[in-house]
Amino acid sequence: MSAIAPSAEPAGNGATTMSPTATEARTGEALLELSGITKQYGPNTVLDDVSFTIHQGEVVGLLGDNGAGKSTLVKTMSGVVLADEGEYLWRGEKLGTINRQETEKRGVETIFQDSALVPSMTITRNIFMGREITNPIGLMKIKKMNEIAAQILDSVVTIEGIKSPNQLVGSLSGGQQQAVAIARAVHFKRSLLILDEPTSALAVRATEALLNYLLQLKKEGVSSVLVTHNLHHAFQVCDRHIVMNHGRKILDVRREDTSVEELTAAVVEGPEGLRRHREGKPLA
Amino acid sequence: MSERSGQVTAESTAAEAAIVAVEGDPAVDGTAVHKRNLADSAPTSTTGRLTERLRQMRGRGAMEIGVIFVLLQIGCIVYYLVDPQGFPYLEKANFNVLSQSIPVLAILAIGAGILIIAGEFDLSLGANFTFCALVFTRWYSDGASPWTATGMALITGISIALLNGILTTKAKIPSFIVTLGMMLFWEGAALFYNGTTATLMVPSETMKAIFAGDLGFFRGQVIWLLVLGGLFWLMVHRHRLGNHIFAVGGNPAAARAISINPARVKIIAFCILGLCVAIAAILTAVRTGSVQPGSGRGLELRAIAAAVVGGVSLSGGRGSVLGMVLGAALILTVQDILLLGGAPGFYLDLFVGLIIVAAAFFNRMIEGKAE
Ligand SMILES: Nc1ncnc2c1ncn2[C@@H]1O[C@H](COP(=O)(O)OP(=O)(O)O)[C@@H](O)[C@H]1O
Ligand SMILES: [Mg+2]
Repeated sequence: MSAIAPSAEPAGNGATTMSPTATEARTGEALLELSGITKQYGPNTVLDDVSFTIHQGEVVGLLGDNGAGKSTLVKTMSGVVLADEGEYLWRGEKLGTINRQETEKRGVETIFQDSALVPSMTITRNIFMGREITNPIGLMKIKKMNEIAAQILDSVVTIEGIKSPNQLVGSLSGGQQQAVAIARAVHFKRSLLILDEPTSALAVRATEALLNYLLQLKKEGVSSVLVTHNLHHAFQVCDRHIVMNHGRKILDVRREDTSVEELTAAVVEGPEGLRRHREGKPLA
Repeated sequence: MSERSGQVTAESTAAEAAIVAVEGDPAVDGTAVHKRNLADSAPTSTTGRLTERLRQMRGRGAMEIGVIFVLLQIGCIVYYLVDPQGFPYLEKANFNVLSQSIPVLAILAIGAGILIIAGEFDLSLGANFTFCALVFTRWYSDGASPWTATGMALITGISIALLNGILTTKAKIPSFIVTLGMMLFWEGAALFYNGTTATLMVPSETMKAIFAGDLGFFRGQVIWLLVLGGLFWLMVHRHRLGNHIFAVGGNPAAARAISINPARVKIIAFCILGLCVAIAAILTAVRTGSVQPGSGRGLELRAIAAAVVGGVSLSGGRGSVLGMVLGAALILTVQDILLLGGAPGFYLDLFVGLIIVAAAFFNRMIEGKAE
């Protein structure tokens, strides 16, 4: 099975600024392990030697200020962006080629920050895009897909105002579009659900439902990575928090070992703020 | 997803409510109440289904053109009934002309339109058309069997388009430029292959029956259009490949993020165009019996115009096969009306030009509404 015992893996204690208790053994087998991930866009180093592990059944919060590199990291995890350097291990095995096809095979689903929807297509066709339910010659079973689309939209996220799964996505509000993106990822996920600011356009009630859903997934053994700007949300549902700052991982800590204050200091002020917080000084 | 998924969510929502600090179970109730809204939204009555259909046509931009086309036909028929001598519209001669010209342009519009939905253009369509027609007539008049000649023409059309597709997607050069260059290249190649004189062919009776049969009021090209139109409709609107074509043209980044390969889909769309071009070229060559280098010049613009008139969005991701066919039919019907009415030649281009601009304007409005 997994060659890497959770307590021995280097990614967990890679960041020097990390709380010492975070190196303790975690429950759950290592699912996805990234090590030494570096990504440059032109002269900008967007990800700088980032390493961490997501374990089975774990809810991980990925935090950081705008431009910290969270979305790029999310795209790397989902195989849409190829890192310049670093390794991608799935259940302890190194992936030869990393692309979306490979991650899809392993049950990774992502709600991208920009939704990744096609406005000129219907809700159903967006949800089943690339994974249509068809007969043997490839003709789509539209009625069946409509039924399933309606069911998922009714179950996980509670969004008002979507009239029919045949509506064009371009005619939906921001929150409704986000619900469609969520529905798609939720329907196809099998092992890891990555959510990049999924609640930014959702109302309070829908947000609560989604956060609760992550806890339910955890029970089913499905891991999730939640990118959010709302530290209270993150603190409520996540077992572990990773804080990014200018492309570097500056904190990787379990919920028991941190506080909303510490996370705030790390997110807002970076390594400086983290150090100040540990020395017991108040936020500048 | 099981039918009970909504329930499962609701239960666990309640169980975890404390952690997420939901006061009471409003979210749970919301879920339960909401559950029935969408799942039961599928129209059950015939009128409900019809409304849904029309709304879909509207979304694809095919409804307006359909209405305009029907109104135009009614107008023409009324005019004909009032003044059959001055406006011989519902006559065999007129329908013979229309049923020869509309299918060719419509098939080209389907090819061009599908490619535009996928987000690319092929300006070498006209040059490709000429080259296919030349290959077909020359092979045939050199003694090849009709099947060989047809096969050669199909291979030629698809290969030329495939090359465009590969250059566009692999070299990442905009198709507009690639195919502009290729248009000139294949126009030159046609002269090189054939010289400047027309190539003649005398199609056999079977060949005539297959590609240009006389069905009394109509010509056989209409059958070709109906069959091909039906097949392409299935492919574009009902087959998974069609879904990918819309996705790639509508938002390539989204398609890629969902593991559709945009390059592959675009190359297939180019090949479909090549196939359509070759068929249109064969239909034309059999009908006219002579092909000249340059005979297809300008067809690319007319095909694109027909697609746009039919509601295909130039920015990709939106359009319908029915619209493309109606667009071609509308353009040629308007031309026909002007001819029957005895309008001077330059009126033709003038009116067609106006229709194209008006159609593009309509499309813009539809898109504005959807976004
Ligand atoms: N495709 C890209 N090309 C160039 N720069 C990019 C690209 N994607 C992201 N960046 C840059 O990388 C940095 C991190 O972006 P991102 O990962 O979106 O951060 P976050 O999601 O944390 O706000 C930003 O400075 C952004 O401008
Ligand atoms: Mg982001």
